[in-house]
This record gives sequence, structure tokens and C-alpha cells, in this order.
Amino acid sequence: MDEKVGKLWNSFITKKVSHLYEDEQIFFTHKSRPLKLFYHILGGDKTKDIYITDKRSIKTTRTFLEQISGAGKTFHLAWQDEKGIYLPASLAYFPSKKYNEIHYYWLVAMISHINVNNQNIVEENIITTNLLLKKYFGFGDFYKYAQKFLTQNYPQLSDPQYPNPLWIYPSMANSGKSLDFDIEDEVNATENKQHKRDTLTMKKKANQIDDTKETDGLLLFLPESVLSFMEQVSVDRQENDSYDEDAIYNAEELDEITLGQKDPNLSARVKMDLDIKGNELIEYPLGKGILIDEWDYKKKSYLEKYVLIQPHVTLNVGPIKLPQRLIKTMKKIQNELDLIHLDRIKRNYLPYGDDININTWIDYKSDKNQSNYSQKFFESYEKYTRNMSTLILADVSLSTEAGITQEIRVIDMIKDSLMVFAESLYKLKDQFSIYTFSSVKNTKVNFHVIKNFKENYNDLIRGRIEAIKPGYYTRMGAAVRESSKILNQQQSQNKLLLILSDGKPNDVDRYDGRYGIEDTKKAIEEAKKKGIIPFCITIDTDAKDYLPYLFGKNGYALIRDPKKLPKVLPEIYMNLTKGN
Amino acid sequence: MSKIYYLPQTNEVELFKAAASMNLPVLIKGPTGCGKTRFIEAMGEELKRDVYTVVCHDDLSAADLIGRHLIDENGTYWQDGPLTKAVRNGGICYLDEIIEARKDTTVVLHSLADYRRSLSIDRTGETIEAHPDFMLVVSYNPGYQNILKGMKPSTKQRFISLSFSYPDQKVEQEIIIKESGISEQLAQKLVMIAGEIRQLDDSDIQEVVSTRLLVYAAKLITGGFTPYQACIHCLVESLSDDHDLLAVLEKVISLHFPKS
Repeated sequence: MDEKVGKLWNSFITKKVSHLYEDEQIFFTHKSRPLKLFYHILGGDKTKDIYITDKRSIKTTRTFLEQISGAGKTFHLAWQDEKGIYLPASLAYFPSKKYNEIHYYWLVAMISHINVNNQNIVEENIITTNLLLKKYFGFGDFYKYAQKFLTQNYPQLSDPQYPNPLWIYPSMANSGKSLDFDIEDEVNATENKQHKRDTLTMKKKANQIDDTKETDGLLLFLPESVLSFMEQVSVDRQENDSYDEDAIYNAEELDEITLGQKDPNLSARVKMDLDIKGNELIEYPLGKGILIDEWDYKKKSYLEKYVLIQPHVTLNVGPIKLPQRLIKTMKKIQNELDLIHLDRIKRNYLPYGDDININTWIDYKSDKNQSNYSQKFFESYEKYTRNMSTLILADVSLSTEAGITQEIRVIDMIKDSLMVFAESLYKLKDQFSIYTFSSVKNTKVNFHVIKNFKENYNDLIRGRIEAIKPGYYTRMGAAVRESSKILNQQQSQNKLLLILSDGKPNDVDRYDGRYGIEDTKKAIEEAKKKGIIPFCITIDTDAKDYLPYLFGKNGYALIRDPKKLPKVLPEIYMNLTKGN
Repeated sequence: MSKIYYLPQTNEVELFKAAASMNLPVLIKGPTGCGKTRFIEAMGEELKRDVYTVVCHDDLSAADLIGRHLIDENGTYWQDGPLTKAVRNGGICYLDEIIEARKDTTVVLHSLADYRRSLSIDRTGETIEAHPDFMLVVSYNPGYQNILKGMKPSTKQRFISLSFSYPDQKVEQEIIIKESGISEQLAQKLVMIAGEIRQLDDSDIQEVVSTRLLVYAAKLITGGFTPYQACIHCLVESLSDDHDLLAVLEKVISLHFPKS
């Protein structure tokens, strides 16, 4: 009951203090792409992404109502740092959707023209405002309206300390410690560490504490009261090892997040011997692994021999026929293959063949000296080797475990696609190989050989495809480099690196975010320099942001429905390689 | 005869003339609507040579370039293709979007593009020495390439290459004013908008605003349309069908030219 009353009171008092027009609210999530395009048009840095900002504490004079409601302490402000630009999750200052939307565009325009720090907030905002109003007449109406409206509804704005919704503020990192750090300690990799996790989409202020000392916990008990024999177990209850369903909600509400330095994995780890069945699949490592370089975009140099790639092959795999569920799809694709005659080429001037070539016949007839004329009047279609090597690199990170429906997971679709695609390539007589990859930090990038270029496609390869299991993370740059190396050894004229992925490059270390993207971009550039054509097929619906940056506008295809992947993959390939 | 209007951007006119005088073939790369064809036509006029233009496509055969036998009531006769005409009579043979032609078709150019300057016609058994005024010019748009389609290096390395892009602001402004009679202030604004849209890279948009589209917009404005309308029809709708992109481009236009 108390809680209910509290909630009602909170809602009442918040509404009383707030001047926001929630019915006219515009949400960042609905506008993120247009805003990003707008940012690019205005000359914004293309490597920066747009994010939702967290609220920031600003000391201002507060009204009585604000004080009792707890409002007026924190604000969602627009700002930028070297990684991205940060905008409020929604805007609703004005009683019209139109103006709330232009407000977003205004903030982006301001951000792309301003250079603001803690000392020059007022001057820079005024200068930039004047610049924008002069350059873009269209902002004139909005600004005039917004100024008038805000002054009427927010008398606090007369106080220069009070945050102005039309202004841009310095980076959050300048006003406190930002949640932005690189984990250099990558040696103590805890394998199989896959937590259920949600993602906080906003930038939060952070603080770190030293919680590594285990003596800090206070334990109160009377020894006499212990009647039974007990063994002391070292449990430090500063942490909770159960998954908190409300973690995201709580994290959003917090003003500041405090980070511990200990490995938070307290989930029990049990080691025991198991009876392994005779036909259990065995991951057999091929050699000790290969050390390769990784690109560090901050240092603008390679970290030499930084990543360990471990090629594997799965043993104890049984040969299988093409599964029944794929036969129908394969038949359809076969019809298309037949239809477009991808594997045939027209040959003229043949002494015998399928059809008479009318041009040759006319040439013969028009020749003055017909007796010398070689009577090659026929044309025919012949098999044509396309001088093509394709390496298929499939991302089998843990995210592929996600379900599309209750029965089908992404990994199942990837397996089916590989199966159908391999079948198509086999029929086209194109050279191809299949590899899969997943990673756990730079110390272990698993690179599974499903079929190399020398092996024939057969039932055993199908068995290996069927045996593919999801791994861990997606250190794509390393896998691309290794694949390029393999492709480069092929003799064919055209070399295609076809990457099949369901998400962006990421790993548990700093490889998440821009670092991973930049390394992958570099690896792709290296492949292109070797004359390899990289092409990515993805089912990541959020992928549009980074894919063009990585592969260029012609270098990728986005498939919204993963169930279509088996059918679409061969089609894409045919389109790509048509005309050669 | 009216002189074709072409405003040089850098030293392309001198280079082209030098190539013409030294019998060197020329390759021109550049995005759509940046003035490649106009440049060739202007050069043809300047050098007093006919221009034979062939727009290449993937069905273009060697016979389409060289020529073929045809039939009439008197029997068969040979008809020269545009390339053979230029080789025989002198003139500029301009193969637009050469990248679209099949590789086996472009191979016929090899003997014309090097020191031999000759064309063999298998069907008639002729080998024609190129006329002193013959010049081979090819062009392509690097943005249009099929992923596996590229110009054969052996073909590419027979040409001296010129890279075209959209003109500098001042030059582009002058072109727009000259072509449409628009005011300097409006031309300046159009060029500014084009400059902003050109900030988008190939990941955002397939092709950015060409000078040709700017001229169209300027012509509509001088024809009585509001700058907003002209820009929507020439600079927004012609560029993309992507809903988000259209909305943003419209926003940019309305910031420069308020709707009402």
C-alpha cells in the first residue's frame, strides 16, 4: 500500500514540476539513422556513432517543488567525445512533434559545428547558434519559437548555470570519470565465461573501487552458538552471483556506476571426470596455432603477433546425405542455376554444334573466295571454368545460438545455408573452401576447417557442417586475415572472401566497439590489396551502421529474415559472379 | 556552329591535346554527371575531329564495335562499326562505361591502343592502319563496378588516365550560372547544398549530386519553380528511394530554402 501511494505521489509531483509534453515526445531510437545521415551531411566525423546520453548532475538553484520532487538535479544534455555524439533518449520540450523533431536536428547541427569545453560553454554556444542561423535560414523559425517558448516556460533559464536544452555541453569525461576504459589484462582469460547479459545503451558516469581485498567483509557471530561442525567457505558478499533481471533498469536509474576490479564470475565451477562416449565429436587442433598481427587504431600501428589463431578440425564426424529438409530448396536453386547458364559459354565458329551461326553463314556467303573459307558455321554452348576461388568464412559466435523461432536457432540457418551453398558451388564447379571462427580474446581465435580447397565436397563435409557448434565471440579481423592468407595461395584469377555473420565484430576485451570495427576494416583493406574481393552477408538487423563502413556500399548484403538465408545465399553469389 | 560550353577544372584540356598530338589513348574515370562526355565533345570540337560515342553494355560484342556483314536485295555487304569508322576516317572513338563491356570485346582495342595503332578485321581479312587523327578514349565510373567486374590490367595500362570529379565550388557555380542564367547567390546556395550532400560517402548513398543535376535544378528555378521545389525534384528525388535518406535530404533543402 505504502509503495502504491509513494508511486502515485511521485507521479503526481513529477508531472507538476515537469514542463515536458509527453504526448508530443520524439524518440531518438526512431530517428537515429536520419540523424546520423544529417550529421554526415553537415560534415560530422564518420567514425563517430550517435548514442543516447545519460543524465548529468548540474548544480542549479531549484524551486521548492523541484526540491520536494527531487527534480532539477540531473539533466539529459547533448555532448560529444572522440568516440561519438550523445543525445537525449527523447525530446519533448515543445507542445508539437514537429518542433521536438527539429530540436534533434538542431542539436546535431550544433554538435557538428561547435568546439566546446568547460571554460567556453556560453560563448561557443552563442557563436555556433549565430553561425547556424546565418547558414541555414530554415532554422530561423524554430530558433525564434524555441527561444520564446523556453523563456516563458523555464524561467530558470535566465540563470546562466541552468542547462539550456538548445546548447551543447562539454564531454562527460571532462566533468567526471567516464565509463571508458580498456582492459589490458587479457591473459587471465576465463574460458566458457558466457553470462546472460543485457546492454546498457547509454553512456554512464563511473567510479572504480578496490574490492580485491577479501578481508573487508564483516562477519559477526558468536563462536559458542555454532553447534555443529562447519567448514568455512570464503564468500565475499560484496557481490551477488545471481543474474539480476532488473539490472538494466537499475543501471539506467543510477547516477553513477561503481566498478569493482574483481572477476565477477562467482558461479560455481565444477570440475569432474565424465565418461565420454566413443562417438563424441573431438575438436582436434592442427598445430600449435599461428600468431598474427592486429591493428590498433589508437596507436595507428599493428600489435605484432598479438592474436593466436588455432585451426581445428572436428574428428569422429559421420558422413551424411543432404538432409531431407533442404532437398526442396536445393531443387529450386538448381532450376535457377540451369536457367541462367552460369556454367556455360557460347562458342562460335565450330565445324559442328548446337545451332547455325547466321553471321558466320553471311560472312561465308559474302566472301569472294568461298573455296578457301573454313566452313565453320556452327555455334555451341560449352562448359566454362570461371576461374574463381571462394572462401566462405562463417561466424559461429555464441550469438548464433539465439532462436529465430522456438525450434530454429540462427546457427541452424547458418548450417543449412552452408549446406545448400556448398551444394550449389559444387554444381557450378567453382573452387571453394569453408571455415568457421569464434574467439575468446586475442589468446584464442578458433578457426575450424570444414572444407579446405584441396578436399572434395562429399558426405563427410556435410557431416562436418552438421557438427558445427556455436563458439564464443567474434574477433573478425583475425579470421579475415587468416582467410586472406589461404585465399592468396590460390591460383585462380578471381578470389572471393564471403563472410557470413550475424553480428558486429566483438570480443570480451577491448575488441568490442570501435577497436574491433577498425581492426576488421583494416583486415578487409589488406585483403583487397591482395586482390581478394571481400563480401559480407549478415542477418544483423542493426548492421546497416557499420557494414558499409567496413565493406563499402557494394560489399555487403543484409538479410532481414534469417530463414531465407539458405535460399538467398546462392542467389547473391550468382549475382556477384555473373558476367565473368 | 555553336561552341560546346566546357569550363576546365585543372589541366585536363592541355593533357588531352597533348595526348591527341602524340597519338596516345586516354582513359577517363569519374562519377556520373561530372562532365566526362561534355569534355570529350568539347575536345572533339576544339580538335576539329568527329566524336563516335558508344555506350557500352554487357551484350556489346566486338562486331558492334568493328562492324558486320548485312544483307540487302543485292546480297551481303560489309558495314563499318563506329570504331572502324573512326579508325578509317579519323576522329575520336569514345567508349563510355567501358567497364560494362565484356572483357573479350575490349581486347580488340589492344592493337589500337599501343604503338601498332592498327585494327584487324577477321571477317574481311583487313588490317587498317589508324588515320593520323584517330584517337581512342574510354571512360568508366569507378562507383558502378560489379564486384567481380573490373578493367583488365592489360587494357588499363594502355591508356593515359585522367581522373574527373565534381568541379571546385567556384567553377561549379560558374557552370551553373552559365548554363541556366540563375543568380550568383542562388548558384552559390545550390553548390553549397551539393557540397553538403557530397559529404555522404558510398555507405550512405549510391551516387551523390552531379553537376548535371545542379544545372537541372537551376534551370527549373529560372523557369519559375521555387528553389525548394526545384531542389526536391532534382537533388532529392533523383538521388535515392531510401525513405530515411529522402527525409534527411528534404530537411537539408528546407534548412537552406525554407518551404514557405
